[in-house]
Amino acid sequence: MIQERARLGLAVLGAALGAYAIGIAIWVPDSLTLPAPVHVVIGWSFVGAGMLAWARRPENRTGLIMTLTGIVWFGRDFDWMGGALTTHVDGLATTLFVAMVAHQLVVFPHGRARSRAERALVASAYALASVGYLVANLSGVGNDVVDALAIVLALGVIAHLVGRWRAATAPGRRALAPIVWTGPAVIVVILATLASDTGGPPSAQRNDALHWAAVVYAAIPLALLAGLLRTRLHRAALGELVVELSELPQPAQVRAALARALGDPSLEIAFWLPEQERYVDLNGRALELPDGGEQAVSVLEHDGEKLAALVYDPSLLEDAAFVAAAGAAARLALENARLHADLRAQLAEVRASRARIVEAGDAERRRLERDLHDGAQQRLLGIRLALRLARGQVDDGGRAVDDLLVEAEEEVEGTLAELRALARGIHPAVLTEEGLAPALETLARRAPVPVILASMPGEERLPAAVEAAAYFLASEALANVAKYAQATQVRIEIVRDNNTLVIDISDDGIGGADAAGGSGLIGLHDRVEALNGSLRIESPPGCGTRLHAEIPCA
Amino acid sequence: MRPTVLIVDDHASFRRSARRLLEADGFVVVGEASDGASALAEVKALRPQLVLLDVLLPDVDGFAVADALARESWRPLVVLTSSREAADLGTRLERTTAAGFLHKSELSGAALAALLDAA
Repeated sequence: MIQERARLGLAVLGAALGAYAIGIAIWVPDSLTLPAPVHVVIGWSFVGAGMLAWARRPENRTGLIMTLTGIVWFGRDFDWMGGALTTHVDGLATTLFVAMVAHQLVVFPHGRARSRAERALVASAYALASVGYLVANLSGVGNDVVDALAIVLALGVIAHLVGRWRAATAPGRRALAPIVWTGPAVIVVILATLASDTGGPPSAQRNDALHWAAVVYAAIPLALLAGLLRTRLHRAALGELVVELSELPQPAQVRAALARALGDPSLEIAFWLPEQERYVDLNGRALELPDGGEQAVSVLEHDGEKLAALVYDPSLLEDAAFVAAAGAAARLALENARLHADLRAQLAEVRASRARIVEAGDAERRRLERDLHDGAQQRLLGIRLALRLARGQVDDGGRAVDDLLVEAEEEVEGTLAELRALARGIHPAVLTEEGLAPALETLARRAPVPVILASMPGEERLPAAVEAAAYFLASEALANVAKYAQATQVRIEIVRDNNTLVIDISDDGIGGADAAGGSGLIGLHDRVEALNGSLRIESPPGCGTRLHAEIPCA
Repeated sequence: MRPTVLIVDDHASFRRSARRLLEADGFVVVGEASDGASALAEVKALRPQLVLLDVLLPDVDGFAVADALARESWRPLVVLTSSREAADLGTRLERTTAAGFLHKSELSGAALAALLDAA
């Protein structure tokens, strides 16, 4: 409210001063150094552009400074009254005007000095324009010193602009561009004016400089406004963002929409998962927020709870309020995307835990096989050998005892064979010790149906879980063929294609296998999927059965 | 002269049974070892004509012990044995430097003598 009144007051003051300048140009000819229309246009362009900038970007001081610069410009219009006071008002207004232009160039587009160097440049400009002017003009000495200092300061402003341009990233340069193109022209004109301002009577050379100065001065507010409107392009983008997000985009499109609105293609979104107290990306993968450095982070909250963090180009920090506004506009879409990310994270967790369960199961199977081998089998072997020894020591009269011993030996042998088959089914030793290809060769030799091993992976060992999955896939398939398929042969082809193990097992049997049913097949599905792989079973009646699996094995 | 033999197996019960069986069949069991490293040391010290070598040992496997023995100056006849079947041992059995393989339940003096005669 107060701000609006102040704005209205300044607008009225600016308009009145312009009208007054036109008035004196008519009633007091030659009172202005510039043609009246040029003079008024310069002042009004500052006031008008300042008003516009102020209305569009109220939080940015640039508009206020521009408006005041225009009003100060008209402060030169009282010199015709004569007298020392009005002469000094005219002189002070001229130097203050230059200082204010320098001020705007230094702090554009944020409207505030943001570093020590900027504060020093702005303060020096005002000190030189006020104290420097008064000392030089009231005492009549040091005029050359003030001019020299002004030139140094002007060069300082140019250096500062060049430095900022070089350090700026794409969004920052877009805002700076109009200033960078007019800024040096302004400084050159100011330098030319200073150099020609010998204090003597108007010369042709001085008039030329003044006219050029006038053209450039009129361009300043336009350049400033253009720069501000360029950052305002973001604001239009905010509108587009709201429309785009209202159409309930896919979670993956939210990032793209925000990146477009903020003009930063490198924008990343980190979603906060409150239960796990960590950030993840859209795919649920853990994400660490950068700590300072080349990327800025803006944490978005809703009802005091963290929702997500935007990781973006720090030049957008010039407009932190806008980043926050874009984030707020995207809140619903971001919440939706966070659910998606949360789901992905949970899926990844479930998959990892399933893989761990399968792995733990395999480890347990290996241990069982080893225990059977080291324990019961060895004891039975001892009995077997003892029985053989006993038989050798029975003399010829003990035929009945010998028969008993033979019978016991056969029983033990049968038990041993059963134990071996059991151990092999639990986890074949050859798979642990030699790998997939030898284990499959052994499996093929034992199979009741002829097996063609068309292609086998090389000698390089694969991850144990992948080898186990491929082996049990083949073993289950062969068992099913023996039980149901009435096949005359089975073909097994295993190829390592980059980082995927492709397993293809087909038979020439009657087909019609229930691809979904059977605990063995369900277990195989679990095994393969736990490894992030896929398993497909085709079994049209009369056309054999084909089992196709792909397992990542990086 | 009765052939001398070293029994290498990490199961004491098997070593005991094998020793009794082979001694009954006329072999002289000169020593026993329970792992690959001590097997190599015992062969050097005892110079047996024959080594009955278990495949699955706690340190190195029997195939590696057989290969190491094949490089020694005293090279006994090595017979591998296991409670697993030959098919379960895969291709390593086809490549081994050992002279033969006997399943543990097939162990007898006669079977060993046959392998010794064939060598």
